[in-house]
Amino acid sequence: MTRLSRRHFLVGAGSTALAGCSSSGSRDEEFTEPLELPTADEQLPLPTAADALTEEARSGGPPKDGIPSIDDPSFLSTEAVSFLDPGDPVFGVTTDGVTKAYPQKILVSHEIVNDDLNGTPVSVTYCPLTGTVQGFYRGNTEFGVSGRLINANLVMYDRTTETWWPQILATAIPGPWNQTPEIRSLQEFSLIWTRWDAWRDHNPDTQVLSTDTGYAENYNQDPYGSYNPRSGYYDNQNMLFPGRINDDRFHPKRVVIGARTAAGAVAFRKDALRETHLMTGELGETPVVAVYDDRYDTGYIYQNHDEKAVSDEGEQITVDGERYKPDTLPLSRIHAFDAMWFAWVGYYPETNIYV
Amino acid sequence: MTLSRRDGQILFTVVTTAYLIGYLWAIGHLDIGLGGSSVTIVEEPVSTLVRSEGGFSYRPVARIKIGQITYLASLNTLIGGALAALVGLNLTVSYFAWRQSASCGIRQSSSGVLAGIPALFSGTACCGPVVLIAVGIQASSTLLTVFQFLLPVAVLLLLGSLVLVGRQLTVESLAF
Repeated sequence: MTRLSRRHFLVGAGSTALAGCSSSGSRDEEFTEPLELPTADEQLPLPTAADALTEEARSGGPPKDGIPSIDDPSFLSTEAVSFLDPGDPVFGVTTDGVTKAYPQKILVSHEIVNDDLNGTPVSVTYCPLTGTVQGFYRGNTEFGVSGRLINANLVMYDRTTETWWPQILATAIPGPWNQTPEIRSLQEFSLIWTRWDAWRDHNPDTQVLSTDTGYAENYNQDPYGSYNPRSGYYDNQNMLFPGRINDDRFHPKRVVIGARTAAGAVAFRKDALRETHLMTGELGETPVVAVYDDRYDTGYIYQNHDEKAVSDEGEQITVDGERYKPDTLPLSRIHAFDAMWFAWVGYYPETNIYV
Repeated sequence: MTLSRRDGQILFTVVTTAYLIGYLWAIGHLDIGLGGSSVTIVEEPVSTLVRSEGGFSYRPVARIKIGQITYLASLNTLIGGALAALVGLNLTVSYFAWRQSASCGIRQSSSGVLAGIPALFSGTACCGPVVLIAVGIQASSTLLTVFQFLLPVAVLLLLGSLVLVGRQLTVESLAF
């Protein structure tokens, strides 16, 4: 064999070093129109000043858009779905005549789907490390994965102004690509985190996000663990990235259903709600009730300003003597979502928590 | 030349193939898939080929499903192949150096092959080195940087080892 000389060694080393310097690229060049983004009337609470949060951001590993959002989703009808097991988690939404389900096993590799619901542009976002699903109205922009994390939570960016938007906070903060954004909050909508068989049985004409995403991925592989059955990161105490606060009242991955407004934050442990079906609490000064929906194994939070009498009658809820399904109480429902305990208390350290 | 001998060729092929399969499995590009048989190619394969997903992890340009197995074709297959060839060469050359030294009574060792192991951990496709979850270590920025450098460091170690061990061999000694 040819003797390897020092020259061969140096060439090898040089090529290896150069190979690491490739660009990540992005779709920013397509978003030149002035931003039209629906925002909330009231800014949502931040645990500290916006620029202090920016200081806490750290790399999650991949560069900007290293985790690619799905920007051209396609959908299947129920009969055409062959890749989901009955117990696989899906995130479902019904609104305005359209019903869609987004499987966790696809979203774990993309975190953001830029889609529309009956013509209204939305983003369905999922952060695997915090177990949070958030729907946002995106107007004429798209959201992407910045590659940075705060509180182990996804930090999104919009492709028009490159502002940073942490997913759980849903509020703009300064970032390296836009240092002076207007601090405001996104308009959100809730998706239901449920099982595929439950969603399909109650919504037979649902559309389902297909694995035909435009990317070459293996959607049978979840890099962090598994939900069906629960194992790995989703189940153990190990933290890949730290939360903001170490509040060990509960197991860090324990699921809570939480809601927050400018007045404060409230959360209910999902396992407790599953057992009791009805819980009461306070968000700021306002009484709230949380009700369980056993069709989907999910919960909803309503404001109960007038302190109406709410009680649980098995599959229905009674409010002032009248019976209602859990998702249609005559009370003001507020945006709520599942979250891992460490992530919820990390962003809302003063939260009320009910067990 | 170690590779001109039949036993050298077999050893090299076996080690290189095994290493490449192990590497592709470790980065999630060769694993159990959703089933079915199909080939999917992304829309812009050439520009996608050099898109990094973090460090030396590159975005797959094609997905090939054969029954239960799914293979993702990316630049990492070439990187893994080069790494595998280095490990294979290292092992083969070390083997012959060991045989030569055994017959001459000189003690030799090659730890270069061990450098191939860190390269296996050099990263999965997204969100940092996920192997840390299993062992319960947090991914500090120092650790993330370490993982990003595992691959080039492993390459340098393997090349260096090859140069060092290669010098031990002489053509005459291979004629036994």
